[in-house]
Amino acid sequence: MINMLLEKYLDILPKSLWVTTCNSGSCNGCDIEIVATISPRYDIERFGMKLVGTPRHADVLIVTGPVTRYMRDRLLRIYNQMPDPKAVVVVGNCGASGDVFYKSYNLDGPVDNIIPVDVYVHGCPPRPEAIIEGVAKAVLKLESLKQQKKAGEADS
Amino acid sequence: MTFPVKGLNAETGREPEELLARIRGLFGEGAVVDVRAHTAGLKEEVQYRDIWLSVDKGRFLEMIDVLAEFDFPMFYVMSGNDDGDVVTLYYHFGIFQCAGRGKRFGVAVSVALPKNDLVVPSLFSRIPGVEYSEREMREMLGITFDGLPNTALVFLPEDWDEAVKPWRRDETGPKPENVRELS
Amino acid sequence: MEKKYTIPIGPVHVGLKEPITAWLDLEGEKIVGATIRPGAIHRGIEFMARDRNPIQVIYLSERICGICSFAHVIAFLRAVEDAADYPVPVRAQYIRTLVLELERLHSHILWAGVACYSIGFDSAFHLGMVLREKVMDVLEALSGNRVNYGVATVGGVRWDITPEVAKAVGEMVKYYKAEFGAFYDVVTADPIAKARMRDVGVLTADEAVRYNAVGPTARASGIRCDIREMSPYEAYADFNVKAIVPQDYYGKAYGDVFDRFLVRVLEVQQSLNIVERVMDGLPEGEIVHEKNLNKVLATLKKAEGTGWGVIEAPRGDDTHVVHLKAGEENVNWWKVRAPTYANAVSWPLMFRNNELADAPLIINSIDPCISCMERMLVTDAAGGKKVVTKAELLEKSREKTRRLMQK
Repeated sequence: MINMLLEKYLDILPKSLWVTTCNSGSCNGCDIEIVATISPRYDIERFGMKLVGTPRHADVLIVTGPVTRYMRDRLLRIYNQMPDPKAVVVVGNCGASGDVFYKSYNLDGPVDNIIPVDVYVHGCPPRPEAIIEGVAKAVLKLESLKQQKKAGEADS
Repeated sequence: MTFPVKGLNAETGREPEELLARIRGLFGEGAVVDVRAHTAGLKEEVQYRDIWLSVDKGRFLEMIDVLAEFDFPMFYVMSGNDDGDVVTLYYHFGIFQCAGRGKRFGVAVSVALPKNDLVVPSLFSRIPGVEYSEREMREMLGITFDGLPNTALVFLPEDWDEAVKPWRRDETGPKPENVRELS
Repeated sequence: MEKKYTIPIGPVHVGLKEPITAWLDLEGEKIVGATIRPGAIHRGIEFMARDRNPIQVIYLSERICGICSFAHVIAFLRAVEDAADYPVPVRAQYIRTLVLELERLHSHILWAGVACYSIGFDSAFHLGMVLREKVMDVLEALSGNRVNYGVATVGGVRWDITPEVAKAVGEMVKYYKAEFGAFYDVVTADPIAKARMRDVGVLTADEAVRYNAVGPTARASGIRCDIREMSPYEAYADFNVKAIVPQDYYGKAYGDVFDRFLVRVLEVQQSLNIVERVMDGLPEGEIVHEKNLNKVLATLKKAEGTGWGVIEAPRGDDTHVVHLKAGEENVNWWKVRAPTYANAVSWPLMFRNNELADAPLIINSIDPCISCMERMLVTDAAGGKKVVTKAELLEKSREKTRRLMQK
């Protein structure tokens, strides 16, 4: 489910994306694999992607963890502070479906109950190569939307 | 009143039998529930021991003071269970932590609290490190600790309904509408 | 008269059992008080264990924390084996010890990298991440996954050490002995690191005992406590592991960030030695007491009692308590206390009399895995507001290093 407002801003989408992360209650296994993508062996920075600290500078939000009730509010706030166009990537099985935490009194559901998600990267935790592929797929998805919109305009 | 911290790098430890004899003398035979010896390694020798004690609510502080005569009881964790009409609390301590190889022994003290009177004296003035555990037991099992200054919620979010105690198995426990299935 | 501020930090700290919100009271640049509010990653795991049998709970306990996942599994299994009086063969004990030490290695190297990153030593951070990859390769050769290995089970382990794994371990140890020198230099030869980390975030020995600090945090304050020495378990019964305390090396234990760095760096060397000795002395035999899982579950169903397992995780003493009831296959109740839970109580004590620029370093120093302070809101008493981001907070910390370098 792509954010419908995205179409308006696709023309100004930059090619190399800046990424910010939010841990909404995960065990940190995925978060460490995300930090490992900056390490020299996997090196996400050769694509121009870098990990920034604030949502106001970011294009892509990476979310890990099943959302606990405490973090639900904060996750929404972080999502709303990101400027358009933006994409959301969920890393790990917890955010996609709950994984082993499927029944609890303090969890508010997989991430797509709270914010719209564009790409899911499965695994517990997924390897850094899989995470890079996931973020690259988000880029490709946004690029293809841009092409569709251009093709739509050329017809009309 | 806090316990004096003695012998941080103490090379002397004492045998569990001394502690057991003192406990039996003061609290009777029933106080010592179990003494477990753990073996490990190639030769299957005894490496360390754990002692399990049980005490009434009224004499609980006395028991802790007896332990403190030997060494500052290092508090590990407080666990508990809802057992029908009592709530049993288990306090886990370690004695002689710095006394050398194999000298530490773990002490677990269990206290049974009747459900119509869920009050137990707090250990905060003696061992400040129990603060988080006592707050957690208060919000999870509904136990009141006499003498604990800070009683805010520690794990549950601010908008949690305080009447629901997540670990209880009776009518104050979580009902099916509180528990959510994610998938 | 200096202005008084209250700053909230958090809650996104990747790496603690829960992301923690901390409220710091400041006067000018000095921190005079701190309040901590945990609770953001409370998933209700102990509640979930009530409808699972012990074998299923193993996979739940792996996912309590991503860095010390195997430590939680072994503490849980020791509690179950204590409650049910279940034996473990010697070869399995050695394999468990090997994986525990490998986990300690990668956790401490990660921490050393992150601590250097927060004082501005970026190349050490990248060196740390590259070094970690060697350990992950060995773990992947043994179990198939980099995190959440699934190696242990009730009564032993599931995967054996093949000659390929033994060769990979030997290469890893040789590589580390050659490359780890940069971190060792930080604590022995580097004057800037010493100026930056000495007398920052002090926790005295008396306070460490009263507030039940565990692991390297307590050892840095001079307390000679290490579960591997005091109550040896698994294969440590055959090795003589000594607690590492700074007074053996520098004569006095200050209990500050520098001492914690020193303790962890020396523990890496100690772990490398233990890994070598485990591989040399690996005994022959069975790797699991009973292979058939149905028979294991039937035995556990008949067991009744409470078991307590304590082990030395990379961050301190990890405790699990399990109660099994006769006639029921599921676990009756389960209580977990991870080491950071005990260490976090001493944060307000460590923050006193330090500057705001030291806040990232102090939060990092008890090793809450990775510290990822998200945003800070600075409000002063007059009502003005300013949002400070993680980047700015980190920059403050590095600025201080540059100031010290110029002196």
